[in-house]
Amino acid sequence: MMVLFFGNLVDITQQSELAWPFIHNTMQLQQVLYEQYPALQTAQYVMAVNGKMIQTNTILQEGDTIAFMPPFSGG
Amino acid sequence: MKEQPIKNFFVAGPISPQKIAESIAGHSTKKNIGAHSIFLGQVRADENKEGTVQAIEYTTYQAMALEQMHQIREALFKKYTLTCMHVYHSIGLVKAGEICLFVFVSSVHRKDAIAACEEMVEAIKFKLPIWGKEILDNQKTVWKENH
Repeated sequence: MMVLFFGNLVDITQQSELAWPFIHNTMQLQQVLYEQYPALQTAQYVMAVNGKMIQTNTILQEGDTIAFMPPFSGG
Repeated sequence: MKEQPIKNFFVAGPISPQKIAESIAGHSTKKNIGAHSIFLGQVRADENKEGTVQAIEYTTYQAMALEQMHQIREALFKKYTLTCMHVYHSIGLVKAGEICLFVFVSSVHRKDAIAACEEMVEAIKFKLPIWGKEILDNQKTVWKENH
C-alpha cells in the first residue's frame, strides 16, 4: 500500500510518500501512524482512498493508495 | 454545451499576462459568446507577525485534483448555460504580485458566466487538494489557510 502526505503533514512525517505493509482498514492505519508520528494525531486532516474522500473507517485492499490531506489552500 | 475530457490545468510557476491576453483573443472566433467572466488570483504580500509574504509555493495531489476538477466542471455545465470554461492554477513557486489562478468562463449571457465563474473559484479554494506554503522575507515559511 502507498501512504501519501501533503501540505504541513509532510513537516510531521518528513516524507510525502511511504510504502506500507497491508493493513485492514483506515482506522488501524491511523493508529499505527500515530505511534510513529505522534504529532499527526493532533493535526487537522481528511483522508482519501484511491483519490476518493472518505468520512468513516474504510476497508482497505492490497495496492490501495491512502492520502492524508490537511485543509486545502489553493487559489 | 459540450463537456471536455480530463485535462491538466496546472501551470508550472506564475500564469503570464500574455497567456491571459492570448486566451481572450482566442475566443474572438466563437461568435455565439456574449459574456466572459474572468477571475485572476494574485499572490498578495501579506504582512503578518512572522514576516512579509514574498512568494507562495503550491503543491497538489494531482491525480485527485484533476478528477475533482472534472466533476466540478460537469456539475457547472449542467447547472448553467455555458459556452466554455478554462481554468489554470499554478504549481510551484509564484512571487507576490504574480498571477496564480486564472478562471475564464464564457456564455451567451452575463448571468450564467458570472455565477459559474464565482462557483468555480469557490470550488477551487475549498474542494481541490492544493496547498500553498507562504515563503516569508526572513526565509520562514507559513502554511496558507483559506477562509
